[in-house]
Amino acid sequence: MDQAEVMERVVKILTPWAKDEQALASVAMETSILDDLKVNSARLVDVVIAFEDEFDIEIADEDVDSVNSVGDAVQLIQGKLG
Amino acid sequence: MQTSSDAARLPRGEAFWHTCQRCVVALCAPLWVPAAAAVLRFVSGYRIRDLRRVRAEFDRILDEASAPMLICANHLTLIDSLLIAWALRSPWRYLLHPASFPWNTPEVKNFAATPRQRVLAYLAKCIPIERGGGGEETARVLRRVAFLLSAGETALLFPEGGRSRSGRVEPAEGGWGVGRILASLPRCRVLCVYLRGDSQHGWSDLPAPGERFEVRMACIEAKSDLRGVRRSRDLSQQVLRQLAQLEAGYFDDRQ
Repeated sequence: MDQAEVMERVVKILTPWAKDEQALASVAMETSILDDLKVNSARLVDVVIAFEDEFDIEIADEDVDSVNSVGDAVQLIQGKLG
Repeated sequence: MQTSSDAARLPRGEAFWHTCQRCVVALCAPLWVPAAAAVLRFVSGYRIRDLRRVRAEFDRILDEASAPMLICANHLTLIDSLLIAWALRSPWRYLLHPASFPWNTPEVKNFAATPRQRVLAYLAKCIPIERGGGGEETARVLRRVAFLLSAGETALLFPEGGRSRSGRVEPAEGGWGVGRILASLPRCRVLCVYLRGDSQHGWSDLPAPGERFEVRMACIEAKSDLRGVRRSRDLSQQVLRQLAQLEAGYFDDRQ
């Protein structure tokens, strides 16, 4: 699965939780999930579980700590997919 | 109190600074802990219903401890940590048993936004956390809480993350930080504490002067067969559901 496809699916998962529609419309790899998309930090676990279900992967608590941007999420997922 | 055999670890530097704070807190506690209790009781006029029973129950639970114990509570005001600490033990017993005075993790913007606030938070056994902050920083705070629990100390956390905007425990709205700590300390018990004043209908900065509080407690050992983040969320949810149960009992008894 290439990066563009992973990113498209990641953004689709983030959409219901993103509160900043402008940031969502111009989302890029550098877009911050919490600061730019304004996803509630308490809901991050739901987002990560959605990633697990979408890509059939397992994500550890520690993996989530390094996910700040959409690009971080894409790279994490691509790493898990191998 | 015996410590868990599967202690959470901190880098040596962080463990050193944690020990420093613990020592400074212990030295300064006689100066402010009794004074804080006096302010709650005689200036604000707060009362805890069945205070002796609440404290006896806490003592019993602590005495039974052979594993780390985390205190988790519902969250309605900015001084819930102080109220709960006051309810669970007298200031004098805290001075004799300093490890039982819980650490807590207040929001940076409420309690550690200025240098003076940061000093006061440091002396008050606080580890400020930035809600919604970067994952690494939050993870660092959670690791430190797991470490101090494994070392036989106690901590008080609010699994809802912030003050409940609905005025009720909402398990679906809770975070997963508590679950991460519990996942790293498999034998850790959780003392769920429900605190509510007679006239508290929702959240606020402070309770009304003269408020009468009721405290309900239940001790659980959350367990989960799930893995990864699902495990952490499951563990957090178990704690939140227990708090919601305590709340349901509180309101049922008032009808």
